[in-house]
Amino acid sequence: MRAPLAPPTTALVAEVVDLHVGFTRNGRQVEAVRGLDLQVRAGEVLGLVGESGSGKSVLSLALLGLLPEASQPRTRGVVRVAGIDMLTASPQVRRQVRRDTLGAVFQDPMTSLNPTMRIGRQVAEAAGSGAEALRLLRAVGIPDPERRLGSFPHELSGGLRQRVMIAMAVAGHPALVVADEPTTALDVTVQAQVLALVRRLRDDIGCSVLLITHDLGVAAQVADRVAVMYAGRLAEVGPTAAVLQAPSHPYTVGLMKSRLSLTTDRHRPVQALRGGAPDPADVPPGCGYAPRCPLAMDPCSQTVPDPLPVGTSAHLRACLAEPSRVQDLALTAAPVTAATAVPAQRVDAGWAARVGGIEKTFRVKAGRGRKATLSALRRVSLDVREGESVAIVGESGSGKSTLLRVLAGLEQHERGEVELGRGGRPQMVFQDAGASLTPWLTVGELLDERLRTEGLPRQERRTRALAALAKVGLPEAVYGARASELSGGQRQRVALARATVVPPEVLLCDEPTSALDVSLAATVLNLVQQLRRELGMAVVFVTHDLSVARIVADRIAVMYLGRIVELGDAEEVIRSPKHPYTKALLAAVPDFGVAPPALKGEPASPLSPPTGCAFHPRCPLAVPDCAQPSLDVGLERLRVGADLLLDADSRRVACIRPKEL
Amino acid sequence: MLILVAKRLTAVVLILLALTAVLFALEQTSTSDPIKTMLGPGASQALVAQKRAELGLDDPIAAQYARYVTDLVHGDLGTSYRTRRAVSADIATFLPATLELALFGLVTAVLLAVAFAVATTLRWPGAGAFRLLLMVGASAPAFLLAIGGIVVFYRELGWLPATGRTDFVDAPTGPTGLLTVDALVHGRPAVLGDALQHLLLPGLAIAVGPAVSIGRVLRSSLVTTLRTDYTRTARAKGLREVEVMRKHVLRNSIGPALSMTGLQVGLMFAGVLVVELIFAWPGLGQYTAQSIPVDDFPAIAGVMLLLGVAYVLINTVVDLLQAAADPRIEA
Amino acid sequence: MAVAEAYVPTAAPPARRDRAVRAARGRLDWLAVGLLVLVTLVALAAPLLAPHGPLDPVGTPTAAPGTEGFLLGSDSVGRDILSRVLYGLRSSWLAALAVVTFGLLFGGLVGLVAGARGGWVDTLLMRLTDGFLALPAPVVAIAVVAALGPGLLNTLLAVSLVWWPFYARILRGEIRTLAARPHVEAARLAGTGGVRIALKHLLPGAIPAAVVTASLDIGTLVLTLASLSFLGLGQSAPAPELGADAARNLSYLLQNWWIPVMPGIAVALLSLAANVAGDGVRNLMSGR
Repeated sequence: MRAPLAPPTTALVAEVVDLHVGFTRNGRQVEAVRGLDLQVRAGEVLGLVGESGSGKSVLSLALLGLLPEASQPRTRGVVRVAGIDMLTASPQVRRQVRRDTLGAVFQDPMTSLNPTMRIGRQVAEAAGSGAEALRLLRAVGIPDPERRLGSFPHELSGGLRQRVMIAMAVAGHPALVVADEPTTALDVTVQAQVLALVRRLRDDIGCSVLLITHDLGVAAQVADRVAVMYAGRLAEVGPTAAVLQAPSHPYTVGLMKSRLSLTTDRHRPVQALRGGAPDPADVPPGCGYAPRCPLAMDPCSQTVPDPLPVGTSAHLRACLAEPSRVQDLALTAAPVTAATAVPAQRVDAGWAARVGGIEKTFRVKAGRGRKATLSALRRVSLDVREGESVAIVGESGSGKSTLLRVLAGLEQHERGEVELGRGGRPQMVFQDAGASLTPWLTVGELLDERLRTEGLPRQERRTRALAALAKVGLPEAVYGARASELSGGQRQRVALARATVVPPEVLLCDEPTSALDVSLAATVLNLVQQLRRELGMAVVFVTHDLSVARIVADRIAVMYLGRIVELGDAEEVIRSPKHPYTKALLAAVPDFGVAPPALKGEPASPLSPPTGCAFHPRCPLAVPDCAQPSLDVGLERLRVGADLLLDADSRRVACIRPKEL
Repeated sequence: MLILVAKRLTAVVLILLALTAVLFALEQTSTSDPIKTMLGPGASQALVAQKRAELGLDDPIAAQYARYVTDLVHGDLGTSYRTRRAVSADIATFLPATLELALFGLVTAVLLAVAFAVATTLRWPGAGAFRLLLMVGASAPAFLLAIGGIVVFYRELGWLPATGRTDFVDAPTGPTGLLTVDALVHGRPAVLGDALQHLLLPGLAIAVGPAVSIGRVLRSSLVTTLRTDYTRTARAKGLREVEVMRKHVLRNSIGPALSMTGLQVGLMFAGVLVVELIFAWPGLGQYTAQSIPVDDFPAIAGVMLLLGVAYVLINTVVDLLQAAADPRIEA
Repeated sequence: MAVAEAYVPTAAPPARRDRAVRAARGRLDWLAVGLLVLVTLVALAAPLLAPHGPLDPVGTPTAAPGTEGFLLGSDSVGRDILSRVLYGLRSSWLAALAVVTFGLLFGGLVGLVAGARGGWVDTLLMRLTDGFLALPAPVVAIAVVAALGPGLLNTLLAVSLVWWPFYARILRGEIRTLAARPHVEAARLAGTGGVRIALKHLLPGAIPAAVVTASLDIGTLVLTLASLSFLGLGQSAPAPELGADAARNLSYLLQNWWIPVMPGIAVALLSLAANVAGDGVRNLMSGR
C-alpha cells in the first residue's frame, strides 16, 4: 500500500540547493555534480534515476557527509539534512547526523559488510543493543534471526546480506534512508522482495527513502516521486505517475524507449540513445544532453536550462524545447525495415548444436576445510537449430553460464553428450567484454590471431579484420588500439568482431549487456541481431532478464538450479508462462506502476538442491509429492491423460502437476 | 579450525624433515673430515678405520640419516669439533642471550612499524621526516648501524655501552637466562636498566630493516581497508572515527603485516648473528661466527637447525592466528 | 543500423598544469631508474676508477680520510680504502644482479610453467617452492656455504638456491590471476595454442610485477650478501669485499673508525640506490 502523497507543504528532511561537487581524479578536474536542487519530503520515497557518471552516487555521499577526502572534493551550495549543512559542518556534527537522522544502504552487500565481524555485532553497532539488533533482523524478514546473529557475512546469501544492510540503515529510526542501487547486485526475484521490504519499512517507520537506481522501472515501482539526473544536473522531477505518463525531458523519453520491457516490439530494432554520456571531466557548455538530444536547437549548446514547472507546480523539467515536441518524440517509433525483421524460422533446419543429458559438478570449498559438490547442471538437454536464437534465462546459481561454457568447450562435463554441427567450435562473447580482450595486445593482433588459425596470408588477414570491424560499426583506427583506449560499447563491439571474423555456426553470448548502461545495451542487442541475420549463425544467449530474452530469442529456456524447467517459443513463454518459476520470474520484472508479488524464499543453494523438484520450497503449487527424493522431473509436453494441453508443439515444462498450470 | 591446525602441523613435520635432510646432505658433502678433526692429522690408517666403524660412517646412507634424525629427536645435535662439547649443551649456554636480543629486536621492529604505518597513513605531523629517517636506516646494513651506533653513542657521546649484556659482575644468571626477566625476578631495577641500555643499540640495529618492511605492508593494507565499502558503512552508521579504526580498519589490515612479520624473522636471524659479533654479545651469533673459520659443521648445523625450527614454528603460529582472525580463511 | 560510434579516445588530455606535475614526477622516476645504470657502470669500471690496486700497500697505514692523498683513508697495512671499496662494490653489485637475474629467469620459468600449465604440474612445482620458502633463506644459505666452504662462487650458489622460489611464487601468482581472466578463455576459443597463450596472453601481464619485485629486491640482496660476507662466508682474506672488510677491521673501530665504517657506508649507498631505483621502476610500471 502506498502512503498518500505528501502535500507540498510538508517539512523537508533533506534539501539540496545549487550543489556543485568536483573532484581531482588522476590529475584531472572532474565535475560530478553541476548545480543540483532537490528536496526530500518527510515520509516519501524519492526515486533518483541516472546512468553511470550522472553524479547520483556522489549526491548520496554528499548527503551522508562522506565525500571521499582522498579525491579532494570541491563543493559549493548547500546540502541540508535535519537543519545541518553536511558540506560545512564539522566531522563530529556530521557524524552525529548520520547517527541520529540518516541510514544508508549501498549497492554491493558483499563488500559493504565487514567480513571479519559477526552480523549481530555489526547490527548492534548501529542499533545500540543486541536485543534491538535481533528485533531489527526479525523486522527485515531474516529467517532464524537468533542463529544469524552469530553468522559472518560470507555465510549469507546476497539477498540476506542486503536485508542486514537495511536493518542497520533503519536502526534508530532515521528520518532519511539513502539507498544507493540497493538491488542492482541481486537476482530479480530477490530484488522484488527487497523493494517490497523497503516500501513496507517506509510505511512502518515513516522514514523518507532516497532510492538511487539506474533503472527507471525500479524507481517507478516504489517511488512517490521520481527525479531524473543527467551529467550532474536534474533533467526532470515530479510525481511518479506524471513523469511516467507525460515525460517532459527528451532524456527521460530516451530512457523509457531504450528500456526493454515485456511489451517492447520485437520486430523493430531497440531504440538506442545516440552516443554516450559526456565525460565528467569535459562537460560541454549548455545543456549536458544536447549532443545526444534529437530535439537539440542552437541555444541548447550555450544555455544551461533550469528546472521549471510543467503543468502542475510539482512537475519540473530542465529543457528548452517545447513540451509538445517532447510529447511527439515519445510517440514516434523506429520504422520496421526489411533488414530488421527477425528471420522466419527455417522449418527444415538441421541442428547446429545439441546437448543431451549433460551433468556437471564442481568441487568447492564448503568452509572449515571441507569440500562439497556443487551440481551446476543436472541432466540438461537442448537442441539448437541452424540459424536459430535460443535464450537461456535464469538467476544466479541456475547453471545457465555453465551450460554455455560446456557448449563452448571451456568446461568438461561428466555425463551426457555435446554434439556440434559441421561449423566447428562455437565462438563466445563474454559478459565483461573489456576483460575478454588481452590488455596489452591491439585489436588488430587479436583479430589476426583468430584468422591465423584459418591459415590465411598476412595481407588477407588484415583485410578481413578491417572488414569485420566495419561490420560491427567500428572505424579502422580501432585496429591499432588496445582495450584500455576503447569505451565500454566499443569493447563489446570488438568482442563481437573477434567472435565473428571467422563466422561460427553458433555464437554464444554470456550476458553481454548486463554490465552496460541501458542505452548501450540496446545497441549491442541490435548488433547481435544484425550479425546473426547477416552471417546466418545460431545464437545462444544467456541472460537473467526475460525482456532481453524475448527480444533476442526465437525460443526461451528457463533454468532453475541446474535444470531447464520450461522451454518454448519466446513469445508464447512470455505471453502464457506455465511453470510456476517462470511465472514468478515474469512477475518480478520491474515495470512501470506495477508492484510485483514477491516470490517467497531465497533461491536454494546448488550445493544442496532440494530433493525432488528443486523449486518446491518456493512453489505455490507444491504438494508433498514434489519433495519425493525419487522424483526425477524432466521436461514434458503438457498433457493430462492423452490430451495435449497446449497445441504449441515446441512447449515443454518440467512439472508433475500439469493440470494446475 | 582443528582440521586447519592438523594440516599445518603435518606441513611443519614435513618441512622439518626436509630441513634435516638438507643439513644431513650438506654434512655428507662438507669439506671437513670429522675423523681428521677428532684424531688430528697424524692418526694412523687403522685408527681412522676403527673410528669410522665406531661412528657408523661406513653404514648405508639411509641408515645414517635415520640415526641422524633419531639423534635429533632425542636432542643430540652431535659434538662440536671446536669446543669438544655436545652442541646441544653449547646451544643451551648461548641461547638465552640471543633469545633476549631477538625478542627485544622483534618488539622494537613491530612498534616502529606500527608507528610508521599509522603516522604516514593518517598524515601525522612529522611523519615525513620519520619516514625518511627509517627508509635511509633500512638501506644500511645491520653491521653499519651497529658500528655507527658505537662510534656515535659510545665513543663520541658516551651515552650507551658498546659491549656485552651487562656491566654488573654479580648479575643474576637464573632462572630464565633472560637478563631483563631475571633482574625483575630478583628485584634489581638497576640491573634491569643496565640490561636495557645494553640491548638498545644492538636491538635497534636489527630492528630498523624489518620495521620498514613490516610498516610498508601495514600501511598499504591500512590504505586499502580505509577505502573499502564496509569502512564506508561503518562511517555511515555514525560510528566515531576511533571506533571505525579500531573495530573495522585495524582488524582487517593486520593480516598481511602479520605474515610479513613472520617472514622478516628469517632476515632478522642473520642480523642477530652479525650484531652479536660486533657487540661481543655472548650468544649463538658469536658461537656460529667462531665455528665458521674452523669448519665446525656440527655446531653450525645445530644452530641453523634451531633457527629453522624457530622460523617454521613462528610462521605456522602466524598462519593460525590469521585463520583465527579472518573467518573466510579455509584450510 | 549499427551506426558507427565516433572513435573518441576515452581518456581526454589532462589539464596542462597536471600534465606538468606528472611529467616532473615521471622524470624523477626515470632519474631513479638511471641510478641502476649508473651504479652498474661504476661497478663495471671499478678497475679504471680505482686509483690503486686493492691489494697494494701504497702508503702510511691508518691514514685518515682526505689525508696523504687517500680520499677515504688507508687501512691497517696502508692500502687505499677507496680502491678496496670500489672493488668490493663491484663484486657486491654484480653478485646481487646475478642472483636476481637467476631468480627472475629460473624462478620465473618455474612460475610460468606452474601457473600456465595448472593441474598436477602446478601442485608439484609449488609444493617444492613452498618447501623452500618455509625455511629462512639466510639461515639455509649460511648452512650451505658452511658445508661447501667459504668463497664467492659458493656464496652465490647458496643464495641463488634459496632466492629463486620467491620469484617462482610471485610469477605463478600473477599468472594464475591472469589465467582466471576471461581474455585467456577468449584466446582459447579463438583457437590459440597453449604455448602461444602462455607467451602472448599471460607472460606480458606478469612481467611488470616481476620487474618491480626484482628491482626492489636488489637492495635486500646487497644487504644479505654483505651480512654473509661479514660473517666470513665470502671471499678469503686479502680479497676486497665490503662486508668482510668491515668485519676484519672491527678492532680499529674506536681509534680509526673509517676503516670498518667506509665499506659499511658503501653497502648502505648501494642498497639505497637500489631501493630508490626500485621505487622508480614501480612508479613507472604502475603508470603513475
